[in-house]
Amino acid sequence: MATDVQIHMVIDDKKITCKPNQTVLEVARANGIEIPTLCLNSLFPGHKVGSCRMCLVEIKGGGRPGLQPSCTLPVSSGLTLSTCSDTVYNARRTVVELFLTEHVQKCRDCPISGNCNFAKLCRDYDINGVPVCAECPNQGEGCLLKRGVLCLGPLTYANCNAYCTRKGYRCEGCHTIMVHDDIIKFGIRAYKDAGFKAKEVLEAAKVFSFDSIKALEKVMKEEGFI
Amino acid sequence: MSKDINIHVEHLTRVEGHGNIILNAKNGKVEKVMWEVSEAPRLFEAFVRDKPYNQLAQITSRICGICSIGHTLASLKATEAAMGIEISEQSQKLRRLAIHGENMQSHILHVGYLVAPDLFGVGSVIPLVNTHKDAVLAIVNLHKLSNEFSDLICGRTTHPINLVPGGLWKSPSPIKLRAMRQKLVEAVPTANAVAEIVLANAGALPDFKRETEFIALVSKKEYAIYDGDIGSTDGGTYPVKDYRKIVNEFVVPQSTAKYTKHKRESFMVGALARYNLSSKQLHPLAKGWADRFGLKPVCHNPFMNNVAQLIEFVHSIEDSIAIIDNLLVNYKDEPRPKVKPKAGTGAGSVDVPRGILFHEYTYDAKGICTKANCVIPTNQNHNNIQHDFEAFAPTLLGKPEKEIELNLEMLVRAYDPCISCSTHYLKVEWNRGTLRDNEG
Repeated sequence: MATDVQIHMVIDDKKITCKPNQTVLEVARANGIEIPTLCLNSLFPGHKVGSCRMCLVEIKGGGRPGLQPSCTLPVSSGLTLSTCSDTVYNARRTVVELFLTEHVQKCRDCPISGNCNFAKLCRDYDINGVPVCAECPNQGEGCLLKRGVLCLGPLTYANCNAYCTRKGYRCEGCHTIMVHDDIIKFGIRAYKDAGFKAKEVLEAAKVFSFDSIKALEKVMKEEGFI
Repeated sequence: MSKDINIHVEHLTRVEGHGNIILNAKNGKVEKVMWEVSEAPRLFEAFVRDKPYNQLAQITSRICGICSIGHTLASLKATEAAMGIEISEQSQKLRRLAIHGENMQSHILHVGYLVAPDLFGVGSVIPLVNTHKDAVLAIVNLHKLSNEFSDLICGRTTHPINLVPGGLWKSPSPIKLRAMRQKLVEAVPTANAVAEIVLANAGALPDFKRETEFIALVSKKEYAIYDGDIGSTDGGTYPVKDYRKIVNEFVVPQSTAKYTKHKRESFMVGALARYNLSSKQLHPLAKGWADRFGLKPVCHNPFMNNVAQLIEFVHSIEDSIAIIDNLLVNYKDEPRPKVKPKAGTGAGSVDVPRGILFHEYTYDAKGICTKANCVIPTNQNHNNIQHDFEAFAPTLLGKPEKEIELNLEMLVRAYDPCISCSTHYLKVEWNRGTLRDNEG
């Protein structure tokens, strides 16, 4: 009988035997392997469309190699998967970043206040937020940097709704400097383009972020700003 | 009386920061009465060293969340005095508005949220919402207006971003100033209503008198809060740069904040000190309220500091309206000030809600701070609170313990102490044995 058929597969070097007609996500979770999900939520039972791409896993053997969402991937014999390879980590991180571009990070005003699933994912994937520029209405030609004002917006954590820059004052970086390298690189390029000196930027950033200055200096060196 | 009393109020509530009250009495005699400041030191003067001149106001404004505007202004004035920077008349007026905004913010917070519960005999402002809803709403509205006012001039409600060495980062829009004037005019009846309520309950303020010296800024031109010389009710005016001769700071074992004294054993600063020295220069409505409360200079009842704050609140509204009217006659969009750093030493003083505040900096030729000193108003009041305790406690002994406790708490609250401001500096000179765990 078909129900007696056993499927043998490998997830993260762990040999797993399971029944057919299940998804990889279900099997992995049943075996204690955690895979994050956003669209698969107990609030929406039966909703398994694979739309959030948070549950991506990497197929290494027994199928077409590459990334697949585990919530829609059926189990099959001989599958070899990884849920924690660098490829998977980076792909999931990009997914979270893409969500962030659309998500207003008003955690301070939110009743859940950073205790939500999404905030946890941000922390798990080393995404510490977006800079003030993401909330600032002066983007483009109105940018204070282009008007010769040493604004710390590109380096500073948002979540303040760009209170100061919105009114035309410079951002003084009171939410502290982001230590996430990828994002501050954009900021450092912005200072370079606007013709500021690295020393000025570091001096201004020191006021509220003394302990992040070394990290900032390191990225500045990598970017050829110092 | 043969009653023994042991009162120990640890971490007095409805004040800013941590302070304790201790009263021990045996056989009807006070053995020990003490105002203890247990807040950890803040060390601001140490960490502004080696910082450039344009960051100092930004850093020192963080000494306090309530008087951040006052700290910014005192800091800027010290920097400007050290470098010989002149600021435009318009900027002067706008800065006066900034200090009025803060005065309103702080006074309504203190009188409305922290003192009013004592007058109505409840523990906090929350129960008053049920019993005196209109009054609480009026207070909240006035506080909101004060915040908006500060936000307009300073760019933020606290920790101003618009006030920079040499003037203002940008002039607020005249349209918004006009709108703010309208709001201030509309707030006058609300302020009157709040004053009326406080007047009706002012009987709850104890009648206690102890002669002391009052020190505040004085000016021939105006009711001085932004600019002036140092004045004393014991006579004499002194230039701000001689402030060290006035405050004479010293260290006592029970306090992490320094104490001060001038001619007498202690002196008081704050709204009452300003009222005692400059009452003639108040605006008419504020003067009217002073008459109705029966406040006359020189008033030696520290509890009347609450009333003086309320009077100053009304005065600040009136003066702000007058300043805005004056400003709008010839209002310009001034360019951002450019400052050339210069070596020098300078002291700046502003009379902030809790009293006279001094900042003094020394800069090198590049504009880097080499030395700083800040003397905070609450700092100057601690000694006076202690002496008031010593005079007030013996008069209370016949009362039940709860009432004694409340009266002593009310006395401290009357000074509106901002304790965490005042413990900015700790020079450990006393014996190790007297240091408590949390300081050591």
